[in-house]
Amino acid sequence: MSPCASRRPLTLRLAALIAGLAFAGLASAQVLEIAADGSPAGLDPHVVPAFNTVLINKNIYEGLTAIDKDLKIVPGLATSWTVAKDGLSYRFKLKQGVKFHNGKPMTAADVIASLNRIRDPKTGSPYASRLSMVKEIVEDKGDVVINLNTASVPLVGQLEALAIVPAEALANATNLQRVPVGTGPFKFDKWVTDAYVSLVKNPEYHTAGLPKLAGLKFNIVPEASTRQAGMANGTYQFFPSVDAVTINALARAPGVVTTKVPDLGYSLVGMNVSKPPFDNPKVREALNYALNRHEIVRGVYLGRASIAAPLPAVLTEWAVPYADFPCYLSNPEKAKALLKEAGVAMPLAITINVLPNPVAKDTAEIVQAQLEKGGFKVTLLAQEIGKFVADWRASNFTAFVSLNGGGVDPDDYFYRTFYTGSSTNVFKYSDKELDRQLDAGRATTNKAERKKIYDGVQKSLACQGPIAFLANGDLFTAMRSNVKDFAAIPTRSLVYLRQTTLEK
Amino acid sequence: MVKLILKRLLDLAIVLLGVSVLVFLMIRLIPGDAAQVMLGASGDAGEEQVRQLREKLGLNDALVVQYGRWMGAMAQGDFGVSIWTGKPVIEDIWQRIGVTAELTFLSLLLAVLLSIPAGALMAYFRGSISDVVMRVVTITGVTMPSFWLGALLIFGWAAWFPGWQTLGSIPSLTEDPWAHLQRMFLPTLTCALPVIASLARIMRSAMIDALGQDYIRTARSKGLGEWTVTFKHALRNSLIPYVTALGIMAGYLFSGAIVVEQVYAIPGLGRLMLGAIADRNYPLIQTSILVVTCAFVVINAIIDLLYRVIDKRAGVAA
Repeated sequence: MSPCASRRPLTLRLAALIAGLAFAGLASAQVLEIAADGSPAGLDPHVVPAFNTVLINKNIYEGLTAIDKDLKIVPGLATSWTVAKDGLSYRFKLKQGVKFHNGKPMTAADVIASLNRIRDPKTGSPYASRLSMVKEIVEDKGDVVINLNTASVPLVGQLEALAIVPAEALANATNLQRVPVGTGPFKFDKWVTDAYVSLVKNPEYHTAGLPKLAGLKFNIVPEASTRQAGMANGTYQFFPSVDAVTINALARAPGVVTTKVPDLGYSLVGMNVSKPPFDNPKVREALNYALNRHEIVRGVYLGRASIAAPLPAVLTEWAVPYADFPCYLSNPEKAKALLKEAGVAMPLAITINVLPNPVAKDTAEIVQAQLEKGGFKVTLLAQEIGKFVADWRASNFTAFVSLNGGGVDPDDYFYRTFYTGSSTNVFKYSDKELDRQLDAGRATTNKAERKKIYDGVQKSLACQGPIAFLANGDLFTAMRSNVKDFAAIPTRSLVYLRQTTLEK
Repeated sequence: MVKLILKRLLDLAIVLLGVSVLVFLMIRLIPGDAAQVMLGASGDAGEEQVRQLREKLGLNDALVVQYGRWMGAMAQGDFGVSIWTGKPVIEDIWQRIGVTAELTFLSLLLAVLLSIPAGALMAYFRGSISDVVMRVVTITGVTMPSFWLGALLIFGWAAWFPGWQTLGSIPSLTEDPWAHLQRMFLPTLTCALPVIASLARIMRSAMIDALGQDYIRTARSKGLGEWTVTFKHALRNSLIPYVTALGIMAGYLFSGAIVVEQVYAIPGLGRLMLGAIADRNYPLIQTSILVVTCAFVVINAIIDLLYRVIDKRAGVAA
């Protein structure tokens, strides 16, 4: 379609005018315009685990430890730590000269108050279970000492997600939902509901020379096609967590560069083992055989994903490859045979609840078609988010398709999800042997021994567990070509924005 | 006149009370509450955390108690605070209502400016080729979904006018009126197009109807030209059904604004309400729906007054 020739002068006049405006904007500050897909549900780092909150908060808050782009646990607000021989006591040496955004120096008292707030049942923190083994947290010669009831090797890595806030801010903690105060490279500036959250450079950041940008502006842009158009025309310069379809279009747009890393999260079919038909391990195994994970990777992610296993392949030190599990290779005939062995009437009618998310919806449709070839008759129930969560919490489902996040330690994937009675074990799964292994995995410090334990865990969960692991999508980031030195990491965190620069 | 205004105020009070009960119950009848939504479907919160969070948010009390608490607070001018952020909801609503009102007003203005002449011309040229073409165009306009139209315009505009800022934050009207209106243009067009189309069709049929009346025959027999007959005599009398439709369209425009705000990333009242429903942010939903209800009742009252201006007999009949 060609524009009318007579309009061209007007277009040029407008272009010149806009260019003038844009130039005035550039001269004032190096602020990175980010396109985020939704509003944060409040900014209290201890209460809201939602992705859009964490996206912003990771630039404002820091934990005692941090995770780098190679998924290694590195010092955060603690410069070093030691663990007692029995594994029941950790001592963290705090970084000196760290100041909160309100100007107060960070001390052990702030760390203790923050962690205790997460532990306090009155806070209702979703992170409380990470500290469930803690006996007490005390100060000793300026260090923070965490004493445990039972040993927990994953604790050090998990502290990465537990933000340190000033103790005095807790006196009026509801404020933290609106006005975060941390130690991070960027300070909270302004939140205009549904429009943007802006952060400005923390000039007193404890690491010299960082951050490099003058600020971050998280624009809230709910429509995927709008984010795409805004990236293509330069309104936005940074677009985190792009879906596979949009990234294909953006990769062709001039002036846009894209990067990818594997995602620690995975898509899944969850099964309720407390009622028929999935109380029968054979039916769960049949479901695994009926699935064709290659097709899911191609159909949902346009090939930009890897087949999932109980642990994602990116955790190279721990993961058992999916090819080692026979049920991960599609075999609908075997699925039917297993259903027959289980003694259920075929086709076996099941209902699958679907998380309202584009990836989950696409996945569910393919899963439905595949299961029907393997002796199932599937009804999909597309649910509104509140309803989905309510049913999920109450274990009011036969099966569901959704997406789960991950971590850097195997324990992040297994303990809270599969341990008997654990916080997100909505499947009501209970296996005494698995529980024993998971406890041992937490208590064992020897890496080779730990690896052996988690190999066993993966084996026991792969084919007959309450989750059929489907795919690990790739995590795409789109940037304008003048955005430099950002590194995406599989945890989805944007911590590397602190070293990012904007070229003129 | 005073009597009419008093009657309208009484109507408003009754409508608001009814709406308050309805909205209070309906939002609570949707499964899933704020505590559950807040903690999400992955992450590591268990049933115990949900119960504690509910207690903190005051969601464990009986519904009657919660309703009474809300009414009591409102009577004292306290509209409540957001469950999620603790910010007074009226601040959020106040901050957001401006851009939605502006969008609705601009769209309505554009719609009136274009639909009256379009409809009148269609009636004047009724049966001709240009009438048929216009009717096809307008039926397309009526059936076009605004989210699709919006996305189309964003991509199209970027290709045709690369310098035109279609997205990003809106500069305020007082600071930079030109950039402001430029940024509002596409959303307004998206909102207005379906309304222009349907109002033009209403105008056309009202005009054709009016043209069949006795007084038109009289006017023609006086020797007046067809142009004068159509645009002087028939036009004014076609405005009554048109204005009625306009009142309804103002409501339609508001619901359209929700979609358009979403597509163009405009922080308006529509998105605020949509988000509040998804988050089960009860005080915010309740208050914003009451505000919108108020606006509707007031607009309808204004339309009633307009009748009297257009047709003096309407007052007598009422």
